[in-house]
Amino acid sequence: MRASRVLTLVVSLVLASGAAFADKVSITLLNTKGEIQAPLESAAAAFNAENPGITLEIQPVQVGQSPFQVISSLYAAGNAPALYMGDANDMMQFSDKFANLKGEKWIKDSTDNFEQVTTISGAVIGFPLTVEGYGMIYNKAVLAKAGVDPAKIHATKDLEAAFKKVEASGAGALVIAPMDWSLGSHFIGISYSLAAKNQTGLMKLVDDLKAGKVELSKQKPFVGLLDTFDVMKQHNVRKADALAVTYDDCPALIGPGKVGFYFQGNWTWPQVSGFATDQDGFGFIPVPVSNVSSDKGNNGIPVGITKYIAIDKTQNSAAQQAAAKKFLEWLVYSKSGQSALVNDCNIIPAFKNITLQPKDPLAKSIRQYMSKDATLFWVNMPAPDHWSKVGASMQKYLVDKIDRAGLYKEIQDYWKALK
Amino acid sequence: MQYRHGAGRKIGTFMMFAGPATLVFAVVMVLPFLYGILLTFTDWDGKAVQLSFVGLANYATVFGDAAFWSSMLLTLRFAAFTVVLTNVVAFLLAFALSSGLKGSSFFRAGFFTPNLIGGIVLGFVWQFVFSRVLPVLGKLIGSGALSTSWLGDPGRAFWAMVIVTVWQYSGYMMVIYIAGLTSVPPELLEAASIEGAGGWAKLRRIILPLLVPSIIICVFLTIQRSFMVYDLNLALTGGGPYKSTVLVSMNVYQTAFLSQQYGPGQAQAFFLFLIVAAVSIAQVYFGKKREVEL
Repeated sequence: MRASRVLTLVVSLVLASGAAFADKVSITLLNTKGEIQAPLESAAAAFNAENPGITLEIQPVQVGQSPFQVISSLYAAGNAPALYMGDANDMMQFSDKFANLKGEKWIKDSTDNFEQVTTISGAVIGFPLTVEGYGMIYNKAVLAKAGVDPAKIHATKDLEAAFKKVEASGAGALVIAPMDWSLGSHFIGISYSLAAKNQTGLMKLVDDLKAGKVELSKQKPFVGLLDTFDVMKQHNVRKADALAVTYDDCPALIGPGKVGFYFQGNWTWPQVSGFATDQDGFGFIPVPVSNVSSDKGNNGIPVGITKYIAIDKTQNSAAQQAAAKKFLEWLVYSKSGQSALVNDCNIIPAFKNITLQPKDPLAKSIRQYMSKDATLFWVNMPAPDHWSKVGASMQKYLVDKIDRAGLYKEIQDYWKALK
Repeated sequence: MQYRHGAGRKIGTFMMFAGPATLVFAVVMVLPFLYGILLTFTDWDGKAVQLSFVGLANYATVFGDAAFWSSMLLTLRFAAFTVVLTNVVAFLLAFALSSGLKGSSFFRAGFFTPNLIGGIVLGFVWQFVFSRVLPVLGKLIGSGALSTSWLGDPGRAFWAMVIVTVWQYSGYMMVIYIAGLTSVPPELLEAASIEGAGGWAKLRRIILPLLVPSIIICVFLTIQRSFMVYDLNLALTGGGPYKSTVLVSMNVYQTAFLSQQYGPGQAQAFFLFLIVAAVSIAQVYFGKKREVEL
């Protein structure tokens, strides 16, 4: 008797909650940019408040997990998120699972031609989320004290002279971040960018590398950049144990002015700002690739779209896809969305209509290069483990375990071994 | 109620008690294992809907993969040192703590605690010790070997991993050895003393032979754990510096998820399984032969 009463109660509760769920559309966004998890969650809360029929949840990726592994397991489990934040490679890999966003409002308002990268067979599958750039970050106070004008550094010998002046003034010249992704993806990416010039050039260069037709020792962008790297190695303030430096050590050196220079991207601003004595005293200069001041590589920094958001069409209903598209529109066109994107997540937006811009000095520096059209093409390497394997080779070169010829050989062998 | 007789009743009882656990084991371990072996004969890339059979191509790739075999060799070297050192340290600790010292229980608990700390946390704690604490100490006492981070050099990073693994597992093995030591009948040892046997002779002729079952278990556990290590590898060295400490589990993970080659990655995992199974079975078989019956 009692059991049947409890059963009735349970069943009616389930039916009641089922009815309530039927009104709300529930979608998830898989966030692969760990540093913006908290601001994204408050953005989701704001969006949910403005759209009572939609519940957006932000799903993080654990430290050490590869985004590719997480999204593959979610698809395999039948649990794919409605919105996936991935880089250009992920967009291409999973293109058959993503919805065509061709008719969306924000396409005409986007800045550079991002479609070059995320248009597959006529369908636009990626919403450009973040514009980022990297180069040689300098500390204004340190350079001013040493009598160095960063605007005049356009050649490897200029940079070397700057290092020596900074050292003479009592600070360290620079610190090199030895992480494989920093050296193997961003740093060496400058050479690839100058050698390839654009996406089509990059695909051709990669094909030639895979066929073994390229001799890096004869490629000026590679030779020149690595010559600059030699100078950097010599003046590296942590030369004695270069590989023991961690990502967290570097902001503690550049922020308070213990070193004058640091190669990294604008994504490191939250960490540097924590240590910086002058919140406005930083900027980017290009990493010189030759001694000819007018060379393109000596006057521009790589700037590009690093993260895209795609909408899944295979495991999310039409209502969920519509809700996801609404969120993307909200980010671009609503005041609260724009504020969440720019002010909270500290992202440089890829849209012309957004007048809000990040206030941090690194973002301002990037926007200066963008306005002068002094940017280099951002390389999206069409090989998922390039950063790890070539990064390891760069690390060996950093501690002189291999010489320049050995480094060229390892990079060439890496490409030849790829299928 | 009808009583079933004979085999039917036995099976019924078995299903009632062991059924759920067997079912879970079959679904969670056996099925994925068999499916994984099936996948090694296809060209699945982790997300495609269509599968096509490629025969033994993935196994051929693994045979020709120098990185896999060098990480396997490194793992063998790592396992050899770890197994020997862990068991020696554990045995010595167990011997010291079962001789009736005051406060043995406290020490036993203390030595067991490292085993309770998970691999990732352990790795990060020791990474901090090796890269920040030891260099400071090294500069203070003027020791060249200690004043740079151990994790920046392939040879020393390898020994860092061995040290942390031995530290983590000695306590667990010590507990097993203590159980073995306390089950040695004291009358035997007394009789040996009366007949004039010294401490060393007693150890060699009475204690060690009677301890063979514990030794078999401990060696089996340390072999399995040191071959399959991944979380410590990831947190302590991350495979660095420049991929010189990538052990075989990490190599499998990187092939499958970093280089996005599922087929070869799964084939490598299967090789690892075969090798560990062969070593473990051989070890247990030869160990059992040396067991002494009381």
